[in-house]
Amino acid sequence: MAETSMDSSSASAGIDLSQFYQVFFEEAGENLEQMEQLLLELDVTAADDEELNAIFRCAHSIKGGAATFGFADVAELTHQMETLLDKLRRHELTPTPAMVDVLLQSGDALKAMLARHQGSGGAEVDTTELLFNIRAMVSGEAPATLPTARAAAAAPSVPAAAAVAAAPAAAGAPSTQPAPTTGQRVVELQVGPLSNPAQADNLLELFKEITDLGQIEALPNAPELAGVRRFKVSTATPESDMMDLFTFHVSREQVRFVAFADGAAATAAPAADPGYGFFEPEAPAAQAATATAASPEAPETGYGFFDNAPGAPQQVVPAAAAPAAASAPAPAAKVAPKVDKPAAGGLEASTIRVSVEKVDQLINLVGELVITQAMLAQNSRSLDPVVYQQLVTGLTDLDRNTRDLQEAVMSIRMIPMSTVFSRFPRMLRDLANKLGKKVELVTQGEATELDKGLVEKITDPLTHLVRNSCDHGIEMPADRIAAGKPEVGTITLAASHQGGSIVIEVRDDGKGLSREKLLKKAREKGIDAPDSLTDQEVWNLIFAPGFSTAEQVTDVSGRGVGMDVVKKNITSLGGTVEIDSAEGYGMRVAVRLPLTLAIMDGMSVGVGEEVYILPLSSVVESFQVSPEMIKTVGGSGRVVEVRDEYMPVIELEKVFDVPRFDWEHNSGIMVVVEAESSRVAVLVDELLGQQQVVVKNLETNYRKVNDVSGATIMGDGRVALILDVASLVRRSRH
Amino acid sequence: MGMMEKIDVQAEAVAREYLTFRLGDEEYGIDILKVQEIRGYENPTRIANAPHFLKGVVNLRGTIVPIVDLRMRFGCSQAEYNSFTVSIILHIGQRTIGVVVDSVSDVMEIPVEALRPAPDMSSAIDAAYIRGLAQVGERMVILLDIESMLTSPDMGLVD
Repeated sequence: MAETSMDSSSASAGIDLSQFYQVFFEEAGENLEQMEQLLLELDVTAADDEELNAIFRCAHSIKGGAATFGFADVAELTHQMETLLDKLRRHELTPTPAMVDVLLQSGDALKAMLARHQGSGGAEVDTTELLFNIRAMVSGEAPATLPTARAAAAAPSVPAAAAVAAAPAAAGAPSTQPAPTTGQRVVELQVGPLSNPAQADNLLELFKEITDLGQIEALPNAPELAGVRRFKVSTATPESDMMDLFTFHVSREQVRFVAFADGAAATAAPAADPGYGFFEPEAPAAQAATATAASPEAPETGYGFFDNAPGAPQQVVPAAAAPAAASAPAPAAKVAPKVDKPAAGGLEASTIRVSVEKVDQLINLVGELVITQAMLAQNSRSLDPVVYQQLVTGLTDLDRNTRDLQEAVMSIRMIPMSTVFSRFPRMLRDLANKLGKKVELVTQGEATELDKGLVEKITDPLTHLVRNSCDHGIEMPADRIAAGKPEVGTITLAASHQGGSIVIEVRDDGKGLSREKLLKKAREKGIDAPDSLTDQEVWNLIFAPGFSTAEQVTDVSGRGVGMDVVKKNITSLGGTVEIDSAEGYGMRVAVRLPLTLAIMDGMSVGVGEEVYILPLSSVVESFQVSPEMIKTVGGSGRVVEVRDEYMPVIELEKVFDVPRFDWEHNSGIMVVVEAESSRVAVLVDELLGQQQVVVKNLETNYRKVNDVSGATIMGDGRVALILDVASLVRRSRH
Repeated sequence: MGMMEKIDVQAEAVAREYLTFRLGDEEYGIDILKVQEIRGYENPTRIANAPHFLKGVVNLRGTIVPIVDLRMRFGCSQAEYNSFTVSIILHIGQRTIGVVVDSVSDVMEIPVEALRPAPDMSSAIDAAYIRGLAQVGERMVILLDIESMLTSPDMGLVD
């Protein structure tokens, strides 16, 4: 059993986190998408608790990951979102459309941040305004005051905002510059050529339905573009996102974004101001005049964001706008190809995420193929290889190919636990430093292979558990010394196969759970918690949504979301969570997952006509015995001497009541197996061979069978039972 | 569309379609919607210390499915395995369970009004699992509530 340890106080230079970045980006991407969808579906007037909880959990998961990998900006924004969402789900605030807007915008900002961290470039994302807005909402300011808050929020960052505003205006001037693809801007949208131009009207509807997409209005058709509809779009949405929406109605190839030039003036007078009338009331007269003269629509196209903004921007505007007015040629005449990818669309994945179901289906199909192949091989054995040479060669190839295929398909799913465990040392180190604690992480059983589907789903719950252990479990160094414990706390992560399940344990030697505190807290939360509850029931209270015993809410934990998520995720996997704790001595959380699909090295043994599988990992040795080597103790207990050691004999034939038709045959092989640090000798008829077996759960359609941990399908398609060695060992004691 | 109509009919409980099969001299019917497939009988892998009517488990395209011999469950005089013996694979709740019967006879629609309640009597089947008796021509079909029967504790199929 491999064992590694990491001292949090020492530098962990050897750990390369970057291998997990991709996983984080994928997960965060998924969470963002899910959050966006949930937000869009959210009915503000009658928000469902479960939905709010789900949105909250999305934000929480992103925050957790971001903090682990050191993306401070992402963690900060999600933390604020989480605070707002937490108030919403606790009904301390009522959701408003403005909140949904801000949360959606935050989601966009997060996407951009993630894309930036992922290396697709893009400018630093300015979240000052978003953060300000969220804080304002959290502190309970009425939505009506929001616009002011917004403007005020923008004020401190005006140079940045103005720079952003000015940049596109300036960029519009030389036609070689690519048109801006993100940020608030006005573009001309060309759709077509369409056989039925009315199709494009759907886009108008689209903008009506999705309010934060921006504003759209139809432009008169240009004579030189037959069948092409033109629209003026003022938006902050990245083009790729708009494109994705548009493709519901028109095909991607038919949509073009070109820099906006006012339609009426496009041929005659180039549009002077492409609509960046941010600061209209303050805009200089000349500028205003040009704008109105050249494009009568200009006043509406601008987003009067800073209408009431304090004076600061005024100095900036003329400088930025004047060159634009002076030098903007008709950009529409030379359509600038857009080369730079919008940042928010850049969450690209180098791996394909495939649903577990599809992989399962693949595995089952390959399983069938292997069985068919085995049958063909069996039936072709009697054929004369000289006469059927080609057929025999073909079958040999088939044999090899199916085996390779099976291995390849299996390897898709099975990954060692180390891929999960190795995420934790760094996280724990940072966390411990942040909290001023000293923690050592010990991992055991990293080689235990686990189904990828399970690994993916178990990672989040484990992260929460480890964080909880560090945050709530392990005491401050001084407290530990005072309690007579070593200064450095230990958190142990252990994975093992146990009786047909995989058990992953998170143990800590911290302060453990306090019965009184939990009961008190539960009553505060309005949970019915009589004193008569057993310890186990009291520990289980921490799985209630919103339950947290931490006195302070930190960005580490303390909102009680962790255990709620843990329980939910694990239950959805068909697993269970058990908590054991002794106050003052620590806590153990055991996550038990069913072995829906795990590969095991097995030794197949024959008893009578039946075949059973022994897990190879528990087999110590095997040898032939003669009946006189088996002695009895007290008349019935049978023992055999192996190298000066007597060990109990378990006759598989008797345990499984195997029918015998062949009375002359005697069991003559002993297989010594070990479990729970004791050994027994299992008496069988013959050893049939070693092979990798796919562990199937008997309980899916049947029930638990004594002394059996699962079943597998043999090469001939028959089912063989896998023995539960631990239970056999226990049997020998009684 | 045909499927939709069937479901509508189902919802109104006007008539249900039943799969009928023979156990010895008796004819039984079960709700066809519970039936996943019908397979020839194949030797299952025995499970030690299971009730005598649980023949064992088989591999059904990668899943392990328990097989119950209904003839043994109902105490038929003999239960032999020949070329007519079939396993009906049923979908019971989230589980897949196979039952062994002598032969499958028919799929028939039996209107609700054709059902007669089973009289109180002692038999190997608890009356609670009999939906009713139906007269179909000369034959009497015993309509089973197979789901409640298989999931009942005395079957020992579920924990």
